[in-house]
Amino acid sequence: MAAWDLSVIVDDLGNDAPPVTLSVTSDLHIGGVMLKLVEKTQIQRDWSDHALWWEQKQQWLLRTAWSLEKCGIHADARLIFTPQHKPLRLGLPNGTTLRLKACFSSPVFKTVMGICSMLNIRRPEELSLLRPVEEKKKKKDKDLNVEIYDLCDLPLSSASRPCLYNMMPAHFADSPEMEAIYKMLSVTQPPPAPEVIAKQYRPASVVDKAHINGRWLDSSRCLLQQGVQENDRLWLRFKYMTFYELEPKYDVVRLTQLYEQARWAILLEDIDCTEEEMMLFGALQYHISKVSQSEPQLLTTTAAMDDLESALQSLEVKMEGEGSSASEMLENMTAPELSDYLKIFRPKRLTLKGYKQYWFKFQDTSISYFKSKEESIGEPIQQINLKGCEVAPDVNVAAQKFLIRLLIPAPEGMNEVYLRCDNEEQYANWMSACRLASKGKTLADSSFQSEIQSIRSFLAMQKTNSGSHGNVAANEESINTYSLVSPRYHKKYKVKQLTPRILDAYQNIAQLSLTDAVLRFLQIWQALPDFGLSYVVVRFKGSRKDEVLGIAPNRLIRIDLGVGDVVKTWRYNNMKQWNVNWDIRQMAIEFEGNVNIAFSCVTADCKIVHEFIGGYIFMSTRSREKSDVLNEELFHKLTGGHEAL
Amino acid sequence: MEDIDAMFSDLLGEMDLLTKSLGQETVPPAPLPAATNEVSFSIGFTDLNESLHELEDNDLDALMADLVADLNATEEKLAAEIKGLEPPPPPPMSSSLPALPPKAASAGPVPSHASAKAPAGGDVSAPPPSNTSLSPPPPSQAVKPSKDDIVEQMKADKIKLALEKLKEAKVKKLVVKVLMNDGSSKTLMVDERQNVREVLDNLFEKTHCDCNVSWSLCETNPELQLERTFEDHENLVEPLSVWTRDSENKVLFQERQEKYEVFKNPQNFYLWKKDKRSLKEMKDKDKELLIQENFCGPSIIVPDLEEVLHLREDGKKSWKQRLFQLRASGIYYVPKGKTKSSRDLVCFIQFDKVNVYYGKDFKNKYKAPTDFCFVLKHPQIQKESQYIKYLCCDDAWTMNLWVTGIRIAKYGAALHSNFKTAEKVAVNSVWSSRSTASSSSPSTPSPTIKAKSESHANGYVTTPHTGSLSQDFVNAPPPPPPPPPPSAEILPPPPPPPLSTEFLPPPPPDPILPPPPPPLAAKSSPKAAASKRNLPSKFPQHPPAMDNLPPPPPPPPMDDSSEPPPDFLPPPPPASGFGSLPPPPPMSSLPPPPPPAAGFGGMTHTLPPPPPDPGFAPPPPPMFTNAGAPPPPPPPPSPAAATPRPLQPSGSVKKMPPAPPKRSTPVQGGGGGGGGGGGGGDFMSELMLAMQKKRGGNH
Repeated sequence: MAAWDLSVIVDDLGNDAPPVTLSVTSDLHIGGVMLKLVEKTQIQRDWSDHALWWEQKQQWLLRTAWSLEKCGIHADARLIFTPQHKPLRLGLPNGTTLRLKACFSSPVFKTVMGICSMLNIRRPEELSLLRPVEEKKKKKDKDLNVEIYDLCDLPLSSASRPCLYNMMPAHFADSPEMEAIYKMLSVTQPPPAPEVIAKQYRPASVVDKAHINGRWLDSSRCLLQQGVQENDRLWLRFKYMTFYELEPKYDVVRLTQLYEQARWAILLEDIDCTEEEMMLFGALQYHISKVSQSEPQLLTTTAAMDDLESALQSLEVKMEGEGSSASEMLENMTAPELSDYLKIFRPKRLTLKGYKQYWFKFQDTSISYFKSKEESIGEPIQQINLKGCEVAPDVNVAAQKFLIRLLIPAPEGMNEVYLRCDNEEQYANWMSACRLASKGKTLADSSFQSEIQSIRSFLAMQKTNSGSHGNVAANEESINTYSLVSPRYHKKYKVKQLTPRILDAYQNIAQLSLTDAVLRFLQIWQALPDFGLSYVVVRFKGSRKDEVLGIAPNRLIRIDLGVGDVVKTWRYNNMKQWNVNWDIRQMAIEFEGNVNIAFSCVTADCKIVHEFIGGYIFMSTRSREKSDVLNEELFHKLTGGHEAL
Repeated sequence: MEDIDAMFSDLLGEMDLLTKSLGQETVPPAPLPAATNEVSFSIGFTDLNESLHELEDNDLDALMADLVADLNATEEKLAAEIKGLEPPPPPPMSSSLPALPPKAASAGPVPSHASAKAPAGGDVSAPPPSNTSLSPPPPSQAVKPSKDDIVEQMKADKIKLALEKLKEAKVKKLVVKVLMNDGSSKTLMVDERQNVREVLDNLFEKTHCDCNVSWSLCETNPELQLERTFEDHENLVEPLSVWTRDSENKVLFQERQEKYEVFKNPQNFYLWKKDKRSLKEMKDKDKELLIQENFCGPSIIVPDLEEVLHLREDGKKSWKQRLFQLRASGIYYVPKGKTKSSRDLVCFIQFDKVNVYYGKDFKNKYKAPTDFCFVLKHPQIQKESQYIKYLCCDDAWTMNLWVTGIRIAKYGAALHSNFKTAEKVAVNSVWSSRSTASSSSPSTPSPTIKAKSESHANGYVTTPHTGSLSQDFVNAPPPPPPPPPPSAEILPPPPPPPLSTEFLPPPPPDPILPPPPPPLAAKSSPKAAASKRNLPSKFPQHPPAMDNLPPPPPPPPMDDSSEPPPDFLPPPPPASGFGSLPPPPPMSSLPPPPPPAAGFGGMTHTLPPPPPDPGFAPPPPPMFTNAGAPPPPPPPPSPAAATPRPLQPSGSVKKMPPAPPKRSTPVQGGGGGGGGGGGGGDFMSELMLAMQKKRGGNH
């Protein structure tokens, strides 16, 4: 067989180095080519990760036993000898950037598995990579300052499940720097400055939201095939909104990153919610950031703590449940007392007297008031049971206004009563007591002190906020409430209006543990009507206008762009088959009952849409599979199209 | 504490009166219908008086049985506690404890004595001795605790005791009259710890209905023309406590298809926009999937409802249309001139503090556009008020959709687990009825179940619905096989005496009894009883109590015959057979047996096992008590028999008297109360933990 010259560019020799030329015969196999190449370079190093990339054909020559002939390689082939793992700048859901080595030669699906295993994220099939939205590079210097966490030195330990050491994967336990990175991964980030939120791109319409979905990479092809170069920026995001077995114990990083993604989706109005819901999300964010700051441990360790804590809590609950006898006992031993001069006003009464001062006393879940302290032994002027009542704050620290507004249910309706306190201290105590009483708890309840604490810190927040507005010196006690809601509310409310509203929502969740708060946040997020919808602009067969297809974990919806209404819903479980006509890039789906739809995709490649649908169907098969092993093959079968493996 | 004492003595006095009056009044069969419309409940002990007067005789009987059972349970418990707590020296009790404990302790005893008397009359005296005798000698305490340990332990025990007492004393109970479909009514005593599921189980037993999942307790408010079904996980006492004194509200026991319709046909709620035909043909597998998706995921998904509804304007008589949207976080509406985008929605109401009610005949009352109205209001509001929100739908289906959607948003996963529990109960009843049927007489079936369920109902409220059920059922399951025959046999052979003999043979009793271990043990083997001695004490009392009643017994039968019909006959196969049979037998058979026996006899009937034969005279009583409670029965005390369920140990009274030495660990003592013992124990140990924690903190 005749020998001919094959020139190969060796990446490691530098950009300007001339290609290395080898004399080969057509029956030489790829492995032999690489061997010759290495010998020729005369460089001693570990070449095991290197492979040949055929530039014209945009493919890797990974089958080392194949001969050049079998691969169809001739002298004109431009081959590059390059590492399969290259550094990538990976944007995480929490907004930080990691630099790590990812596999550029295997399908993206597998690459993501590798990344997830490195980061200790279970269920990698729910995530994928997408190209970032270009940032307007007005101020370059600022962008350069972004801290990059470097994980490139990690050995390519492959996808084997990392063993845990000290509650974190062993490879993170090597050095303090690595531990810091793991902490970044597993602890929620502090609330972003309002300006940061305002600066970020926010989709303004369903069509905007649809555009982002055109950026997903193809799971069945490798990075290099999709034009991703070394050191490029990609985002790692949860793509399929169906989260299998979230387990706080094992899913520290997964939960944290999921929370971060959800939080940003809310802050940037990627998913719509109502004002009330926004306030609750804000309150949860506030609580989560507060709790995670106050306990600097990782979420993991708190997971263990949570067990203990929840045990203790359930004990309390149980004790309360048992006719509150236990808490009463404790109460009788340490009975906190609360009595003071306060002013009362009943707006409903037709008196113009305004606030009148009395001696107030808190007992169980009731307040009684007397003319004066001296007369407090006798019959009270009135006793008001607060159980089941609504408590609302009306506070303005600057104006020293500390009002507690009570709506007390009675057979005839609700009675309005205002209590006016003189100062913060008094207010914090009475407000806490009222809140507990409204839930049927007494001052003896263990949450009394923490309730007082949280009210104080909220008051403090109002103070600092009213002072320095824009500057977010993240003093840990003070969080700018603008950091907790979407920019829309920055315009709608002043901080001092916003804070009480968030505080209001906060009272119901203030007792949650860190993990519970995160889970609650995710729950509420998942209960939003639009949750899990990924939009794509499509054109249905026979229709002349663009419409939006919403892809959800269990169904497809068709949205009329003109009205914004859902005009049709198809559920996957009624789906008989779906096809892609790759030539005309059209998807056709058949549902039971002879329902056929077909559409071409406008804002995303139809492979992406195909993969979304197949992916969700794959996700739904997971519960059936007993084994924990990810069925990669099935995934590709369902999502790969004609290019399937 | 003094209040409680006072209350107790009041109560006891009242009970004495009642027992007396029972004798006299029972003779004439009470007119049921007339009584039905009367005030249906009383709150707390203080009112017991009033409301009791309004009850029919049969109700009284039932109540009495409840109370007696209650008292007994408490006494048992107390006795157990005392044994456990006061090892050797009884005096220490008061000494070390702060102020409360002693007080509590003192308070406890007094009532207990009284209570014992009340039910048992003079006869009570006998029982105590028996207890003591049964109970083993003072137990040697734990193994070899150090002095400190002992001291600590004693302190803790005392506190526990005090707590227990406080707890018991504080338990609120209501006498509730429940209206049946046929216009009759049942009167129950409901403990504040009981949830609706437990009360329903109770009623199943009493009515021998088919136990299907649609059976519900509903409250009606005639003044506002509202009604709603209670959710199974709700505590019944709480909502009833907010009724006003002159309230005409009622509690109904009804089948309500809409209660769990969403789990039977989820597609009608979650896919309501689809065409109706395809929904009808929905496959079970797809329904299951829908339930999975919406109720079994990480968050509960609320049906996607968006509709124009009519809203009654505050204070005006007009109704205004608005586009409403249901979300997990509340009901919203689209303000005029705004889009439907979420961020523009205005919150109409959130669900934490309000309940949803069906409105009745609002067309007339409020000039509503249709009669398909629902209302959201704070449960405490009982009269017309601007704080009540009235909404009106175009048709019944829409109304149902909204009300169900709101319930899902408000109760979330609890609804689903309620349904699963209800389903279990229904299935069990069917299964049991079948098994029994096959074994022997067709109608017998339910008896076994009932016995069990009853027991649980009375048993221990502490355990959550499912828990309690399972507990009771645990016993039940095993018995089924054996019991059926017995029950069947029992029924047929009406005469009590024969019954007893027949009963004996079958093992069933044992299985059934398990729950009431105490009794069994006591009678069957005194030695075994050792651990349960607490119970023995109770038993004796029971018999005595019955003794007092002796006079009444005869009349009751009469009542039974007249009254039972409603309960037994109508009822579906399950219990009916059982119920029906007993009545006759009791009549005839009971009389013959000795008075005491008779009283219990009723119970026995219900309980297949008790009859135990031989020891009829002495042993039986214990059996009865335990057994009596559980069974649904019929006989002697007529209606009373049916009610006998002792409501939990909650009883109010504790008995200190014979403070026998301590026996088992305190925990066990707590458990003495009956099946629920476990719960008590838990509580204790938790308390200990908490205290230790606290102590540590102080240091």
